[in-house]
Amino acid sequence: MADDIVDVLIIGAGASSAAAAWSLSDTRMRILCLEQGDWMNPADYPSTKKNWQVLRDNEYNQSPNIRCRDTDYPINEDESDISVANFNGVGGGTILYSGHFPRLKPSDFKTKSLDGVGADWPIDYRTLESYFAQNDRNMGVSGLPGDPAGPYHESPLPPVPIGKMGEVMGKGLNKLGWHWWPSDAAIITENYEGREKCINLGPCNFGCAQGAKSSVDISYWPINQRLGVELKTRCRVREITVNKNGMATGAIYFDENGVEKFQRAEVVIMACNGVGTPRLLLNSKSTQFPNGLANHSGLVGKNLMFHPWGFVEGFFNEPLESDLGPMGSCMLSQEFYETDPKLDFVRGYTLQITRGKSPVTIALQHTLKGDIPWGLEHHKNFERYMGRSVNINVVCEDLPEESNMVSLDPELTDSHGIPAPKINYHVSENSNRMMQHGVKSAIQALEASGAFQVNPYGRTRDTGWHLLGTARMGNNPDNSVVNKWGRSHDVKNLFIIDGSIFVTSGAVNPTTTIQALALYVADQMKKNLANLFD
Amino acid sequence: MSNIIASNIFLSENENRTLMALLELIIPADIDRGMPSAADLDFVRYLEEFASKEIPAIKNELEILNNTAEEETGNPFFKLGNEEQREFCNQQRETNRRFVRTILVQTLNCYYQDDKVLTALGRKSGAPFPEGNEVLQGDLTLLDPVRKRGNIYRKWE
Repeated sequence: MADDIVDVLIIGAGASSAAAAWSLSDTRMRILCLEQGDWMNPADYPSTKKNWQVLRDNEYNQSPNIRCRDTDYPINEDESDISVANFNGVGGGTILYSGHFPRLKPSDFKTKSLDGVGADWPIDYRTLESYFAQNDRNMGVSGLPGDPAGPYHESPLPPVPIGKMGEVMGKGLNKLGWHWWPSDAAIITENYEGREKCINLGPCNFGCAQGAKSSVDISYWPINQRLGVELKTRCRVREITVNKNGMATGAIYFDENGVEKFQRAEVVIMACNGVGTPRLLLNSKSTQFPNGLANHSGLVGKNLMFHPWGFVEGFFNEPLESDLGPMGSCMLSQEFYETDPKLDFVRGYTLQITRGKSPVTIALQHTLKGDIPWGLEHHKNFERYMGRSVNINVVCEDLPEESNMVSLDPELTDSHGIPAPKINYHVSENSNRMMQHGVKSAIQALEASGAFQVNPYGRTRDTGWHLLGTARMGNNPDNSVVNKWGRSHDVKNLFIIDGSIFVTSGAVNPTTTIQALALYVADQMKKNLANLFD
Repeated sequence: MSNIIASNIFLSENENRTLMALLELIIPADIDRGMPSAADLDFVRYLEEFASKEIPAIKNELEILNNTAEEETGNPFFKLGNEEQREFCNQQRETNRRFVRTILVQTLNCYYQDDKVLTALGRKSGAPFPEGNEVLQGDLTLLDPVRKRGNIYRKWE
């Protein structure tokens, strides 16, 4: 096995990995991807079962600490204001994401120059523009062209239906004179590339049985495999190895039987996202890299960004059938996305307007709270809430701070004995002020739309879907981990392509930008093949 | 879930009487709306099929319910009349936020996934896949004022 060398070894089979593997496949290099999880079987997803409404509680829970599949690793979150959400399997986080697919905006790449906070990226929106478009085609993205909150772009497919609730909210936002737009969504609204269109099953965020949600096990990987990319599942990488010259030589991993193996490689690409990638780099200590691989800057694991996330829920008198349709993708308002000097915070937030809850969730929430009583009045009061709720998610930009970080837990390990990640993270004062404003705006939007009851829940802990910034890109090796095309400053044949290379977070779901970055990095590798390791 | 007779192998007769009385109190039938009582559904089978790990907690709550009722009224819960049962539950709920919490949660889980109930609510019964749902596209001319306002993002070149 030690002689079985591959040209490119990719660790992880999620969003970024799939895109990069696709791009690199036309080089005819031998590409192998190692993934610690399994292939998913859509026939097993909750929406194929009668009790689908309650299956998110455990098996499809977003938290690895609750889900506890044997393919998961634990995460110490005791000192974090936000808990991590992820999924380990072919598709990675796209298995459980909602497919909400807004892009970062031009200002997101230049926060230091524009607002004096965070840091500028070494690239800009224009650098990624063609890669966004390519990724939209590869994934199958739906949207409405002409959103005035960002550069013009067209999506391959028409937008997801906004439904009655979208009309009600749109009218309310128009009263306020605020921006709103149907969301770009990684959900196919028409049959596309051999896949069947969305049939509004509802719970996108515990796997799409229809295959209409563009998780990368459905969109990219089948094509990648036809193009010759190899993918091995249930292979958990313990360490990236280096030679005496400080070049990566491959990876030590445990195979599906728990047997330790070594895979040699000419190039290693890390694609385990903002917690998994720094965990593996920090676990890869050597004489040359005593503080972890590619960590001469000391920034591997530092500058962790989530998006501080809040919820406000409104209820309307008219039936909106808001429990039906793609749950996380309906519409958004970016009225407060850009910095406004009149406000008491810098940068901004998105109001992501999502659909209502399932009957069980409505019943539980409002019966336990006392809105829905026991007894004869139960039914009448249940009707007041069922299909009539709208959720507004306040998605705040998070700014990089070195004290927010991923490190290795001194005691906790996964089932193979590999040290587990520990998160230290505290929400900043700027984010708290932004959240307060966002919650007030969400209340205002719901009231303007006619909600008879508004429940502002505020910031919520179980919302760490977006894992960013822990191996950031930059031109200066002293304050960044990878260069402007994703190559480690320290290890010339080591690349990072996932959310960890984000310099700032923007205030939108990051997957489309992660994938655009992965396509861009892969393209730079191809363009620089002759002097890739210089 | 499937509205068939319960096998009821894990509840004693008195526990079953207690449970049925409680279910009837939580969600009684509403004939005008076509909604059954929670006691009309096969809650026991639901538990066996979908929530078996909750059975010990449910048995424990039934025992506590009967013991507490006996201490306070001289009779176990299942021997009280309907009105006494209602009053007893109301009192308990005022003082104990977690009163019969597991039973309540599982009752709601069972009830709002039941075919009859979902149909009466105007929703499709059973698994969403493969039939799916229809959702109105929505009137996108509502975006005209948003378009008219023009670009709102900060440019950086």
